[in-house]
Amino acid sequence: MKKQASGLIWTIILSVVSALYLYPIIMVLLNSLKKESAITTAGAFTAPTAETFAGLENYVSALTSQGFGKSLFYSLFITISSVALILLCCSMCAWYISRVNNLLSRMMYLLCAFSMVVPFQMVMFTLSQTADRFRLFFIRFNNPYTICFIYLGFGAGLAVFMFTGFMRSVPIEIEEAAMIDGCSPLQTYFRVVFPILRPTMISVGILETMWVWNDYLLPTLVLDIKKYRTIPMLIQYFRGSYGTVEMGAMMASIMLTVIPVVIIYILGQKHIIKGVLAGAVKG
Amino acid sequence: MAEVILKNIKKVYPHSEKKRRRGEQEKKTNLKVTDEGVLAVQDFNLTIADREFIVLVGPSGCGKSTTLRMIAGLEEISGGDLLIDGKRVNDIAPKDRDIAMVFQSYALYPHMTVYENMAFSLKLRKIDPQEIDRKVREAAEILDITQYLDRRPKALSGGQRQRVAIGRAIVRNPKVFLMDEPLSNLDAKLRNQMRAEIIKLRQRIDTTFVYVTHDQTEAMTLGDRIVIMKDGVIQQVGTPQEVFDHPANLFVAGFIGMPRMNLFDASLVLENGRYAVKLGELYVELSEDKQKRLAAKNVAPQEITLGVRPEHISLAGNAAGAVRGTVDVSEMMGSAIHLHANVGGSDVIIIVQTANLSDEEKAGFAMGKEIAFTFSGSIAHVFDRESGKNLEF
Repeated sequence: MKKQASGLIWTIILSVVSALYLYPIIMVLLNSLKKESAITTAGAFTAPTAETFAGLENYVSALTSQGFGKSLFYSLFITISSVALILLCCSMCAWYISRVNNLLSRMMYLLCAFSMVVPFQMVMFTLSQTADRFRLFFIRFNNPYTICFIYLGFGAGLAVFMFTGFMRSVPIEIEEAAMIDGCSPLQTYFRVVFPILRPTMISVGILETMWVWNDYLLPTLVLDIKKYRTIPMLIQYFRGSYGTVEMGAMMASIMLTVIPVVIIYILGQKHIIKGVLAGAVKG
Repeated sequence: MAEVILKNIKKVYPHSEKKRRRGEQEKKTNLKVTDEGVLAVQDFNLTIADREFIVLVGPSGCGKSTTLRMIAGLEEISGGDLLIDGKRVNDIAPKDRDIAMVFQSYALYPHMTVYENMAFSLKLRKIDPQEIDRKVREAAEILDITQYLDRRPKALSGGQRQRVAIGRAIVRNPKVFLMDEPLSNLDAKLRNQMRAEIIKLRQRIDTTFVYVTHDQTEAMTLGDRIVIMKDGVIQQVGTPQEVFDHPANLFVAGFIGMPRMNLFDASLVLENGRYAVKLGELYVELSEDKQKRLAAKNVAPQEITLGVRPEHISLAGNAAGAVRGTVDVSEMMGSAIHLHANVGGSDVIIIVQTANLSDEEKAGFAMGKEIAFTFSGSIAHVFDRESGKNLEF
């Protein structure tokens, strides 16, 4: 009886918390289906009526205006390249850290763990300056094709931490068996270690995808904003020059941005829990 | 198939920088510590003949697995030479040594099926797929795992996984087959079964085996020869019968044999040119071959540690001069009774066969009952009390 009552209380508390999290998304969804003139502060939570319902008009206008296609490409390219780079480099780094016990590996691990607790805002100006200085070496980070290296730096903390936790639970004998079977170190990594890391790869991949896809600050600071705009940056440009805001299109593009991440999260949430637990329990 | 020679093999684990700076002592004090570091294996000299089954046995931390890993190439050799088939392989990568190894934890690739696990090494060597298929199926047939070829390791039991691990090794047809405590993770029943399978397997694949275990029963039943190790040093090398009958020192005497050998403080006496042992009132003249060996070494009469195995002790009824004690514990094992007797404050184990005992006699070994026992001169082992070495050798 006592257990049932406490279960009920928890259900109520968690329902309220979920509602708090969901309310902005519901608001955006409702308004994305209204006509421009019906989107007002007073009626933010009213459902669209027969007069105010705009159908998919706002979505069409979002997709066709302001170079949405280009931004979608940049966002996709940056997300895929950054996440791929993070998964490859950080899993290799974690392999080294978990298998080599020396001062360097310990320092690397601590550095990665420390980088997780430093907020981005603390380093963003020094970062943009540093990225800019690379011009001297003819390396430009102000385009979508090289920004993945900056994402690698920022994403490494969490990724290395999670991969290391999992790697430490994998018996080293498997790699030794691979060496005896005839694998070179690279073959051992790609043919044995990499597939074993798959559950953690999925969870790290989802977490990093959600972060990179939604990130607004880093591309704004680093990219040449006249040429390259990711989707989160583009949304801001629905605000016109003279205070006009295309609210309908903005709401619709926010929804379009959120949908892929939500789908990816729903598909992979089981793996996220598994991956995080692997690090926490066995690490 | 190959001869393996280990010449003065040594393994040193250097002191950690932190400990060196702090001047701390290494924790493993039973191992020899030098300025270089901790000597995990030292002066290891052994020639393993072609097609021989050699077993490295000893307690935890004795260096047996380290030695095996040095043969495999998974551990760097700090000193000495390792020759496989006449070729020095100290600096050759594991994959180029033509060895195969079975690990205690099986070390199967979890993302591959049983078939893929077994075929992996052959694929890496770019062997013809048809040949791979033939070899894998042949090995699976030998090990009776054909029905599991499509399964992943996690869907198999411990015994089946161990078979797959062995299968993965035998498809390679290696020169040397290394096994690192392969049965330790199995339950007692399965271990006995797998032990028998390994004996059969050995007859079929006929290659050189190096097998590591801490279980003396496995060592005795599997090995052509046994290498008994302690603290990184070989204590004795010999056939199972040799190490059982003629232990080189007290460590080997205690390690080989179950229950362990009984040890007594006794005297070695020489009367009329004949050696004998004196334990309390008991006077036992040693057998002819022992007489010869002791005489050849000109061993002087002295205080010794006398070793007698529990199965070699016989109850003496009320015979005069027998050693006397009282029963502490009586363990009925079915075919034998293990008596733990208190003799002058120390525990002595005596195995009494039950085949010729009446029910009354079997039930008669109650706690506190007085018993007397004796033993023959052919099975008494005489050890130096200081060094623990067998005085016969």
